[in-house]
Amino acid sequence: MDGMPDAPKPEAPPPDAATAERFRTVVMPHLDAAYGFARYLTRDPVQAQDVAQEAMLRALRYFHAFRGEEARPWLLRIVRNTWTDFRTRRGANDQSLDSVEDRADEGPDPEQSALEGDRRRHVAASLAALPADAREILVLREIEDLSYKHIASVLDLPVGTVMSRLARAREKMAADLRGRFGRRGHGLSDM
Amino acid sequence: MDCPTCESMVDAYVDGELSATESAAFEAALPGCPDCRRRVEETRAMSGFLRDLPADRAPDLLRARIERELRAISSATEPKVRPAFSRNMRWMAMAASLIVAVSIGWVGGTFTGRGGADEDQFAATYLRVASSEHPVDVASTDRHTVKPWFAGRIDYSPPVHDLTSAGFPLEGGRVDVVAGRKVSVLVYRRNQHRIALSLWPATAPGNTTPKVVERNGFAMAQWRHDGFEMNAVSDVAPSEMAAFAAALDRARGEER
Repeated sequence: MDGMPDAPKPEAPPPDAATAERFRTVVMPHLDAAYGFARYLTRDPVQAQDVAQEAMLRALRYFHAFRGEEARPWLLRIVRNTWTDFRTRRGANDQSLDSVEDRADEGPDPEQSALEGDRRRHVAASLAALPADAREILVLREIEDLSYKHIASVLDLPVGTVMSRLARAREKMAADLRGRFGRRGHGLSDM
Repeated sequence: MDCPTCESMVDAYVDGELSATESAAFEAALPGCPDCRRRVEETRAMSGFLRDLPADRAPDLLRARIERELRAISSATEPKVRPAFSRNMRWMAMAASLIVAVSIGWVGGTFTGRGGADEDQFAATYLRVASSEHPVDVASTDRHTVKPWFAGRIDYSPPVHDLTSAGFPLEGGRVDVVAGRKVSVLVYRRNQHRIALSLWPATAPGNTTPKVVERNGFAMAQWRHDGFEMNAVSDVAPSEMAAFAAALDRARGEER
């Protein structure tokens, strides 16, 4: 796809004031999405911030190549590439999952029933425990709500591969959740 | 439809990726395939669980860092005085460094300091100080250097005080043009921040208590003291602005 940052054009002009202003309008609204995706990729809030920051700066540097396609998938692809580079640089050691296991507690919802809180914890832990390729595709589909076409552009895969990988990821997560839910119900127990 | 076909379509069906025709065909085949019905339900349930997870907002620090980058680009490539003032306000409000400038000026009584337009004028003075590579024309912490510098540049002699002992060292002064009149500006520093105050001969008698307000991330103070109208603008906290105004009044009171 054109305009992607993996292959920067040789003569990238430094961003000017007009570029900065356009970046603010077009890309900044997706900062939360960039950070959220980085959070799921890294499973660590500090690293997520580093990845999201570098991704935003890369996006700014290559913004001249942005051709007006949808900004969110474009940005999420940069986030993912940035994370890949981070891992390569640091020798791909996976984070502890502790920080992710607690995530379901963060939702400040006093109305939330114990069962729902329990379920959220299980879902968050299950997602965090998935292998990276299953995790990222589920996040892009369910949390970022991207179409297959956009997922394909973020992950640089054919749409057919997106479909099969997504189906496998769901099977994997369903099996894991069944184990976590036990006999409690939640709509997956009889899978 | 036989079941293997059906099963391979479950995800695309739930994800809304089938065409209307395909979708209708899939739904027509569902009653005859309990396995597929179960898979559709499970996929929907899991989708609901994942979408129910709390969303993360980007931390403020991250947002501020990106904003700082954008601001640096804007200020490096744009002319110093721009018509789109509100944009300036925004990036300055986000500024990581705090800047305080004080402008002392004679503006022929056109400033009432009450309307938003006046506040914009003072903020503009502040921004010229904040965004310039040379925030002051005369750089000195010595009031006996700064005060005489204004002679011949403006038509009155502004009171100048170093407030270092109160934590607001004098940085220097400059002349600005506000509402078509030449205005003298004094620049003070508060830690990493600068403060801007405007001051010109008062047309009304008496002193007033400094009124501190916050606008667009700026703290603005306005008051009258000992024959001068004072207007200060900065991106320090309002409480620090109040301390600055009090320190200035104190210094002037001690001099008399």
